[in-house]
Amino acid sequence: MKKVTYIEAITQALYEEMERDERVFLIGQDIGLYGGVFKATKGLMDRFGAERVIDSPISEVYIAGGSVGAALVGMRPVAEIQFADFITPSMDQIIQQMAKMRYRSGGAWTCPMTIRVCCGGEVGGGLYHSQINEQWFFSQPGLVVVMPSTPYDAKGLLKAAVRGEDPVIYFEHKRLYRSIKEEIPEDDFVVPVGKAAVRKEGKDITIVAYGLMCHKALEAVAMLEKDGISCELIDMRTLRPWDRETVFESVKKTSRAVLVQENSKTGGVMAEVSASITEDVFDYLDAPVSRVCGLDVPMLPFAPPMEHFFLPNAEKIVRAVRKVMEY
Amino acid sequence: MTEQKPTNKKPSLKQVGLSETVLWDLYTNLLKTRLLDERLRKLFRQGRFAGTYFSAVGQEATTVGPTYGLRDEDIIAPSHREIGANVTKGVPLELIVAQVYARRNSPDKGKSHPCHYGYRPKGVISPASTLAGQTIVGTGCAMGFKIQKKDNVVLAFFGEGSTSRGGWHEALNYAGIHKLPIVYICQNNLWAESVPATLQAGIKDFADRAKAYGFPGVTIDGNDIVQTHKTAAEAIARARAGEGPTLIECKTYRWYGHSEIDPADYRQTEELENWKKKDPVIRAEKLLLDLEILNTAKREALVENLDQEIEAAVQVCEKEKYVEPEEAYNDVYSERFPVLKDEY
Repeated sequence: MKKVTYIEAITQALYEEMERDERVFLIGQDIGLYGGVFKATKGLMDRFGAERVIDSPISEVYIAGGSVGAALVGMRPVAEIQFADFITPSMDQIIQQMAKMRYRSGGAWTCPMTIRVCCGGEVGGGLYHSQINEQWFFSQPGLVVVMPSTPYDAKGLLKAAVRGEDPVIYFEHKRLYRSIKEEIPEDDFVVPVGKAAVRKEGKDITIVAYGLMCHKALEAVAMLEKDGISCELIDMRTLRPWDRETVFESVKKTSRAVLVQENSKTGGVMAEVSASITEDVFDYLDAPVSRVCGLDVPMLPFAPPMEHFFLPNAEKIVRAVRKVMEY
Repeated sequence: MTEQKPTNKKPSLKQVGLSETVLWDLYTNLLKTRLLDERLRKLFRQGRFAGTYFSAVGQEATTVGPTYGLRDEDIIAPSHREIGANVTKGVPLELIVAQVYARRNSPDKGKSHPCHYGYRPKGVISPASTLAGQTIVGTGCAMGFKIQKKDNVVLAFFGEGSTSRGGWHEALNYAGIHKLPIVYICQNNLWAESVPATLQAGIKDFADRAKAYGFPGVTIDGNDIVQTHKTAAEAIARARAGEGPTLIECKTYRWYGHSEIDPADYRQTEELENWKKKDPVIRAEKLLLDLEILNTAKREALVENLDQEIEAAVQVCEKEKYVEPEEAYNDVYSERFPVLKDEY
């Protein structure tokens, strides 16, 4: 076991998958010579050469669409979109090609590929270096969407994405890159796609979160513990297809739920989770489901007080839990 | 552009530069495509299948010529007017008709709109309707072939209108940087649905765009099967040899509307009549007659054979069932991820 950061876990996964399978190659902006703007691909061009670690021109349409084509002829592309904010030009290729290729060809043509998307706030990134935009992909049949919150999951989910047969949008949170460290096994492992993780067991209320928000929720859980409120924390890990069973089983046990999402509230992932809880396990609920989300304004206003104001944090989660407990 | 002037002098095989077999095959594929296309138009008008139909009548030489001679593992990155590429690549006629009919025997299991032909065993990518979409994906296939060090090539087909899209530019720019094994076939039929080519770009010859990407661009008479085949064959050979892409602009014309529900009343009758005089099938026929590869009896026999083949394919599809509606649930993901089922 060795302690690694979240970003080191990503680099390791890429390195090991490229060693394991020569069909795996990387394409993205600044990923080769420079090793990535956050250094996620550091050293990979030296090891695997410019043919498998491709410094692309500023062409997000091509990065996505070209990767689809390479996947069709048997490659295993891992593309990088440097910031989730810049993924909009790729949308046409992701939605119309990558997500629908298997469906529209009756299963004949498939896209086993991964797009790594660097995302998230609390880094002073402002309006155009803080977005996540996971809800756009979350609502798209045909895509798998994952978002790890720990180094272990960062490595295991990326490996699972590369080895799977479906197209994956892999969100990596830049705030987590170097802020957390964890001991992870040195032997090969994968984290199964579609399975949530129960980060803490509890009996009074269920908190569901993903990405950076899992860490905010953990803080809140510790604060609430002191007051005698026992929280169960579920890390979704995979957003699509999300682990309904784990969430429902927990809500059946606790009868209360608070859902936490960094992005704006309207039309977000937690809107779907909330609706599904209401549809499927309403009879078990003792209180309305509540959501703690980013503000319903463009993500993310720059000035530090506004950034702080926008984002969910432990205090907001604590307030939400208390409100639901008092219902 | 080198447009051949009509002459009374009969050409020789040597002047044409193609063998009798190749010329016969090219003509057969042209004629098969024409007869099938006209038959499908008629079937749509008779209400035999849903949606609409996108005819490629008039521009068959732009697809048949370049596709002829490709290997199965070479990729066709089509749009929606490439019936000729499917016929020439050897996709069974029954499957082409089945796709339009959206029946159980269609390779796409009834998922895609008519004319969105795809067939993996022959390397034809199932297309999306988003224009230039498969040009970008096709460029990615060529990138894959290059990494794999294979000498397969990609033929990407699109209209002149598609060249206005940003993604088209990104793809060709990338292909130029990495000298990818791809040939871009622009079917300039002068109209992008109802928008004339003059409102599509400030250039007359769309092949000029290639200059910006650092590879050759040529404009040819897209209704001359000999030119479309020879020009593309040369470009394909270059691509296979690792010498990079080519953009070939084929000047052509679609005789009918964008689809069968478009009366195409934005065009002048005179323009259409002039282009009908340059019918690629009639021109090929004249060439083969002049070369004495074809005669009236041979032609009649060929038409009869092709008609029978087409009719047999149509009859199979007429009798075939639709897929079960629950087929809608399949092929969203690999089998690992079942989709939510409707409760009501």
